[in-house]
Amino acid sequence: MKLKSKNPRKKRLGLIFGAAYLVLLLLFAIFGPMIRNAQLSDVAKGVDPDIRVYNAVLDPVSSSPFAPAGGAAILGTDELRRDIVARLAEGARVSLTVGLSVQLIALLVGITVGVLGVLAPKWIRNPLMRFTDGMFAFPDILLAILIVSVAGLGMGPVIFALSVTAWPSIARLVASQVATLKDREYVVAAKAAGASNFYLVTRHILPQITGILLAYSMIDLAGTILAESTLSFLGIGVQEPQPSWGGMINGARLNMNSYPVLLIWPCAMLSMTIFALNFVGDGLRALADPRDRSA
Amino acid sequence: MQLARALATRFLLGLLSLLFISFVTFLADEIQPGDAATVLAGEKASAETIERLRENLGLNRPWPIRYVEFVSKAVRGDFGTSYYGVKEPVGQLVGRNVTMTITIASCAILLASAIGIFLGTLAAVWQNKPPDQGILFVSTFGVTLPNFVLAPILAYFFALQWDVLPLTWSVDRVAPDYYYLILPVIVLAMRPTALLTRLTRASMVETLRQEFIRTAIAKGVPPFRMYVKHALRNAILPVITAIGTSFGFLLTGSFVVETYFLLPGLGSTTIDAIRKGDIPVVQACVMLTGAIFIVLNLFVDLILPILDPRIRESQV
Repeated sequence: MKLKSKNPRKKRLGLIFGAAYLVLLLLFAIFGPMIRNAQLSDVAKGVDPDIRVYNAVLDPVSSSPFAPAGGAAILGTDELRRDIVARLAEGARVSLTVGLSVQLIALLVGITVGVLGVLAPKWIRNPLMRFTDGMFAFPDILLAILIVSVAGLGMGPVIFALSVTAWPSIARLVASQVATLKDREYVVAAKAAGASNFYLVTRHILPQITGILLAYSMIDLAGTILAESTLSFLGIGVQEPQPSWGGMINGARLNMNSYPVLLIWPCAMLSMTIFALNFVGDGLRALADPRDRSA
Repeated sequence: MQLARALATRFLLGLLSLLFISFVTFLADEIQPGDAATVLAGEKASAETIERLRENLGLNRPWPIRYVEFVSKAVRGDFGTSYYGVKEPVGQLVGRNVTMTITIASCAILLASAIGIFLGTLAAVWQNKPPDQGILFVSTFGVTLPNFVLAPILAYFFALQWDVLPLTWSVDRVAPDYYYLILPVIVLAMRPTALLTRLTRASMVETLRQEFIRTAIAKGVPPFRMYVKHALRNAILPVITAIGTSFGFLLTGSFVVETYFLLPGLGSTTIDAIRKGDIPVVQACVMLTGAIFIVLNLFVDLILPILDPRIRESQV
């Protein structure tokens, strides 16, 4: 999933705007729920602590649970009188937590497997890469659903399932990079000087590919966040009352006949995040790879 | 000879993956609290009743034996009965729903191939001109936009605002069935359409740079004929592979669309069963979905060398 733009200036622009959006999203995820909490009325604070955080300061006698945008709740409330902004912020938290943990685990596993897939003895190397290829070919969402059906529902199983689907592509990328870099003259020279494989990989090879890996994992992060939202939308990911963008879209869909506006916000947040991550990843790749920059 | 060996390896790998999937789905039953005996006996059953039932069902035997039995039954399409509802045999339940999934996936891939190849060719013909940029821009959205974002947008306009198409599938349908499948098919087709457009464009651009195209232009082949007969025919091969794999992804990735439009298909059945903890149904659905995907990919591997002599020779 990559957005190609041949124009380097456009790429840099995409990188800047994408990065700016991501910084805002991060701040929103960290501070959004807090602001909401501070604004709660005393009445709301007395309510069950589990749902209190998401409840807006509202007119309790109003018959419709949906408050329009622009009142005490900036974007209005949903069918259970919960503040949309607060839920979006919590959802951002969930998406980023899941996304970043998955990428971290996938990078660790992927780098290890990728390096072993090139440098380990043949009887380890071949089955390992075959296994990686097999996992890579399998559709991510199907594998994730398979794992969730075994591991159960909730945030932990989602992180586990998505990590299992995310590492093979990173392992393949690392393997292809290591395979070309290990024959470079400076690596061969270091080897001739008596450097161990571990030293070669950590000092000479991995530093060379951090840029590409970072760019790649940004684009992959978009896929992870999308997959998390998909699982939550299907009701087999993050479970209510914990808000998530996918869960919000699912909830809003059920009230589509009476109140379709609610669909806009989580859909917009999710789409914008995915676009921003793609732009940033693409921009970073252009920076990391000089050949791409000149092309 | 080498080709036969390569295909045999692929086949064995496919079988191996299927075994792997079967093992993981078998684990689902082992890890989840409770087993078939506790569910079938009901909530009020005493410990002895459950124990007796467990004895009858053979759940006391060690897991390797039960795994072998699970696989041998699965091969024959026997997954036991559903835990809920009328306790219908799972094979029957899944068989009933798989038609829907195949129908919408086939319609979607046909739609996606037609539009994708057409738009991709147009984009390549007008390379770097406004039509090309327009098509690329739209296809970027198509690749990035999640299904469950596009579905509500379309449903809002077509079903709620203009009221020309039904919102969801229902038991008491008033219009012909295909009316209810139009929106799901369009949503499902979006991503492969965008992918195939981009791929066709890239492949065509590459082909149009080749010398035989210059020769064709030089000897005065009319443009339409040149684009379709000379360029597209040579550029289409990677697109055909992609159509095959996309079809696999559609058949096994209709979870969202089926759930959104409440279609009784394989995907929605899987999700429903996972949420209810209906393990036999989950096992059957996951195994079937995995098998479909693996067989389809094997088919693509098989058909490629038939279509392209270059692969027939270079295959290792």
